[in-house]
Amino acid sequence: MKRIDAHLHVFAKATTEFPRQTDDLFPPEREEPVEKLLAEMEKHHVDQAMLVQMLGEDLKHHAYLRHCLTSYPDRFLGIGLIPPQCQNPEDHMDRLADDGRIIGFRLGTLGGPRDPFAPTDVRQFATYRIWQHAAKHDYVMWLYLQAVDAHLVAYMVDAFPQVRVVFNHLGVCPGVGKFSWDEKQRPHVDSPDFFTTMHTIHRLARYDNVALHLSGQYAFSKEPFPYQDLEGVHRYLLHGFGPQRLMWATDAPWIYEKPGYGALLNVIGELLPNLSEADHAAIMGGTAQQFLRFPQVN
Amino acid sequence: MPAFTAAQKEHLQEQGFLLIEDAIQGDTLHRLQTTFDHWSPQFKEEWLEQIASGDTCPTWFDIPDPLFKDEIFVDLTDHPSYFDLIDHCYNGRSCFAGMSARAVPPWPLSYTGWHPDQLHSDALHLKVQVYIDDVPAQCGEFGYVPGSHKIDQATYYRSIRNDLMPDHITFPGKAGTAILFNSCGLHTAMDNSTRQARKSVIMGYYRRPPGAAASSKHTALAHLCTTPQRRSLFELEAA
Repeated sequence: MKRIDAHLHVFAKATTEFPRQTDDLFPPEREEPVEKLLAEMEKHHVDQAMLVQMLGEDLKHHAYLRHCLTSYPDRFLGIGLIPPQCQNPEDHMDRLADDGRIIGFRLGTLGGPRDPFAPTDVRQFATYRIWQHAAKHDYVMWLYLQAVDAHLVAYMVDAFPQVRVVFNHLGVCPGVGKFSWDEKQRPHVDSPDFFTTMHTIHRLARYDNVALHLSGQYAFSKEPFPYQDLEGVHRYLLHGFGPQRLMWATDAPWIYEKPGYGALLNVIGELLPNLSEADHAAIMGGTAQQFLRFPQVN
Repeated sequence: MPAFTAAQKEHLQEQGFLLIEDAIQGDTLHRLQTTFDHWSPQFKEEWLEQIASGDTCPTWFDIPDPLFKDEIFVDLTDHPSYFDLIDHCYNGRSCFAGMSARAVPPWPLSYTGWHPDQLHSDALHLKVQVYIDDVPAQCGEFGYVPGSHKIDQATYYRSIRNDLMPDHITFPGKAGTAILFNSCGLHTAMDNSTRQARKSVIMGYYRRPPGAAASSKHTALAHLCTTPQRRSLFELEAA
């Protein structure tokens, strides 16, 4: 069974070779290097992974991500970021994706009307050009949206049925003031409203071009691993999207210490205990292989 | 004389639904429309803030506690166009379960999928949906699978396209149309591909068990409950 970790992060110390944004949480000397990830992947027989850019949207900030993708071409694909005020997003996207290793771009907002009753024209959305360009070049849209954007996605997916869309972290769209960093410097979402997720994002299961990560449990659960309070959410997403559009991911590095990379290999089996072997294999890597087109590895 | 026919009663029992056109008319309908439109904007901003904080769903809007906003909503609960039949089905022991005064914005998808409200049982769970404005086809109109209330339903029909459900029927209708249905049956709102919001009031009922104590839930409505039937409906006295 091929295993693909469909969403995680690496970053280097801030240097001239690998510039990145720094702040109190991510001082220049902090790093989560790709070698550490590779050691965990080797140890736990994970074949490939999707590296998702963080700590900077500019082209230069992607230097370490591109270094990792070039250094280990059979192991990784990448997801880039786009500066919010980018004047020429098409050029930015193409320059990052020029060698085919960055296959898509992560968005945190769509930039449409906040009122669901307002007339909605996707051409007026702030990210319309990004979606339009993604449709033209087959880039993947990688979504971790705010709650205020949840109802807007359906309009974009409807307008661009050829664009592959991946919702991160159970499709949760954190509300204003609900996202924070916990004492272990991990993302934490306070009281995520799964009811909202189920009633909004889950409806998008109808679109064949929409997939979703089973990940981020540590940030949402009120229980320790294996996060049994999220069993119902996993079951519900499975029934909606099916194993062919669900992807396991660890969201490393935030989980290295607790519950540990190896423990997360078992999270799907724990929360979806009745999966067939084939369905389990799909979620653990088969779906990512097909939907994200990871290279075949011998 | 009951305000319903034996054929209507049989249709509800066998098919699980009954369409009542022009259930609400004239001044009552006008009052309902103006009241709905009066209260909706007053809670709009609060609703938008709850959406932004992730505390409510963006795909429908409910006027909070409508019964306590205006008498017209109370009058709707036991409107003779449908309530005589409801009360008959509960052997005179009908009890009010709740009301949603709901506006559903246009969206590329329906805000919900096919579902029963609860699994099949001997207990009767009736609901009424009343259209506030005209609800044309493909505007979020009510849909139902006739006879589906009689069999156990899995609850995972939600992900299929609403228009692909076998044997379903839909209920586009004029303002004032009421659809009485057994909520153990598969039902949904159809997709809304128009630019118009769907406005409706949805009410639920159940059978009050013998000997049930009075409830304080609706005490604030006591002044509007001037008939024994309505006092019973709102459980103002012990059964």
